[in-house]
Amino acid sequence: MTIVAMILSIILGAGSLAYGYFQAGMPDPARWSVLLGIVWILAHWRRYYWFSGLGLLLTLVAAAYGVWNNFTTIWMLLGALGGLLGWDLSDFAMRLSYAAPTDDIQGMERRHLERAGIVALLGLGLAILSLVIHINRLAFEVAVGLILLAALGLTRLVIGLRKY
Amino acid sequence: MSKSLLLGFITYSLVLAGIASVRGEFIALALPFVVYLLAGFLFAPGEVKLEATRHLSTERTSPDSEVDVTVTVTNHGSHLEEVLLDDVVPADLRVRLGQSRHLIRLPKDSAYTFTYKVTGPRGGYGFEKVKARVNDHLRMTSREVQIEAKGQLFIFPPVLRLRHVAIRPRRTRVYAGTIPARVGGSGTEFFGVREYHPGDPPRAINWRASAHQEDVLYANEFQQERVADVGIILDGRLRMNEFSQGHSLFEYSVQAAAALTDALLMQGNRVGMLVYAAFLRWTVPGYGKIQREKILHSLAHAKPGGSEVFSDLEHLPTRLFPPESQIILVSPLHEDDLTPLVQLRAQGYQILVISPNPVKFELSYLPKTQNVKLAGRVIQMERTLMMQRVQRAGIQVLDWDVAEPFDLVVKRRLSRPPAWLRAVGR
Repeated sequence: MTIVAMILSIILGAGSLAYGYFQAGMPDPARWSVLLGIVWILAHWRRYYWFSGLGLLLTLVAAAYGVWNNFTTIWMLLGALGGLLGWDLSDFAMRLSYAAPTDDIQGMERRHLERAGIVALLGLGLAILSLVIHINRLAFEVAVGLILLAALGLTRLVIGLRKY
Repeated sequence: MSKSLLLGFITYSLVLAGIASVRGEFIALALPFVVYLLAGFLFAPGEVKLEATRHLSTERTSPDSEVDVTVTVTNHGSHLEEVLLDDVVPADLRVRLGQSRHLIRLPKDSAYTFTYKVTGPRGGYGFEKVKARVNDHLRMTSREVQIEAKGQLFIFPPVLRLRHVAIRPRRTRVYAGTIPARVGGSGTEFFGVREYHPGDPPRAINWRASAHQEDVLYANEFQQERVADVGIILDGRLRMNEFSQGHSLFEYSVQAAAALTDALLMQGNRVGMLVYAAFLRWTVPGYGKIQREKILHSLAHAKPGGSEVFSDLEHLPTRLFPPESQIILVSPLHEDDLTPLVQLRAQGYQILVISPNPVKFELSYLPKTQNVKLAGRVIQMERTLMMQRVQRAGIQVLDWDVAEPFDLVVKRRLSRPPAWLRAVGR
């Protein structure tokens, strides 16, 4: 179940990026993203789990480059999200390989997929919302304050997670 | 790089790119990662308070027997979404059935029990800890704890039952036993004839001898049987025990030492054990079942080893053994060992050498080519000559071809003292 979901996520990520690039008239990078997806799946099959981190970074760089060049944002967003899910599920599949055959693997898979799915949907929803909602008037001070607040929140979050 | 650090780096980069380029799309791209980070933070496990208990189906067993290891982990802390339990199995033990590693979900105040079967070679093994890696469901947070769950398993060498081992030390102890004490008194074996003393039982009168004299009566005297001090030396020198292709004679030596210990203690003797390897492991002499356990523990831990100091038998600490007691050396024996053995004999010890035959052992697995056969014959002749020299020094030798069961060899060769030893009465 996890492997199928992981492959679908990678296909979603690599496919969205490829489509976005192809739509923008750049067929070569589109082919490269498809190749990246194939290599990622093969790497997981060969148990090169470290590749998933690299895969995530590459999809994200491709998505950011697409955003920078004004390609269709939704495809870039889906590309990044697919990369995130693929990376997460690849890591989860690696953890599942430590489980004994008698362990409740199916239950764990179901719960993980549910939660990862909710997180992905929530992230996608918020991202789309941020693309739709435009605030035309925002004072410079308020913008700076919001940025500082976001930076502070992020820093606290990462520090909080690093404590474990 | 940890997951949280990687995601933090990505999120910061995207936010900075958004601010620098004044483009909201970068922030939108960062939002799924922020949600992912937040989810990890929100579902991070709280207090990790795990407790583990271990139960072994038996703590003493024989090689290659299966032992059930049951581990119960109880969660006294907060709900744990994902726990990877890894019971650390001592090296050399093999998990034969079941798993020592489990990935589980452990709600608050619940317990999880798993069982697996282990098996292994002779040795003493200590189970110490269960490793637990606690993750949230996205593994944004990960914590490893080691839970103490001690257990001990002793895999003793197989103990063959020997019916009787005939030894004749020069000196015995005062307690009644089965070893002829070279002293007249009550016993079963005829010792001699002496003049009848008032108080001797009438059935002790030797009528045939008394008939030769008119006014003197003679009585039979029997040899007293007592217990003796026996020191067993197990030769664990690496150069004596290790052979080509990873073969070793040491397990056979251990098996012989265990069988002799059991038999001699059953006869009521006081037995001590010295393992002579990289260092000396001395088990103080004692009697009975407790001593048997102590020696078997020592044998369970015995390993062949090499050291400069104990490379030959010259550093054998003879003061550990009571004077004129019986010493049993279990060793494949080397030419250099002859002098120390003769010195021991000269000090008054009665020595029995149980020697697993290294030549026959090595020939049993080497290819049967003409050259190997010829070399084998030459080395065997050298060994036979060495054995003869040892015997000439008054040392009893049992050359044991390990292809034969030890109990049968002992029954054939050691159930009675050899004729020459009985003849010299020493």
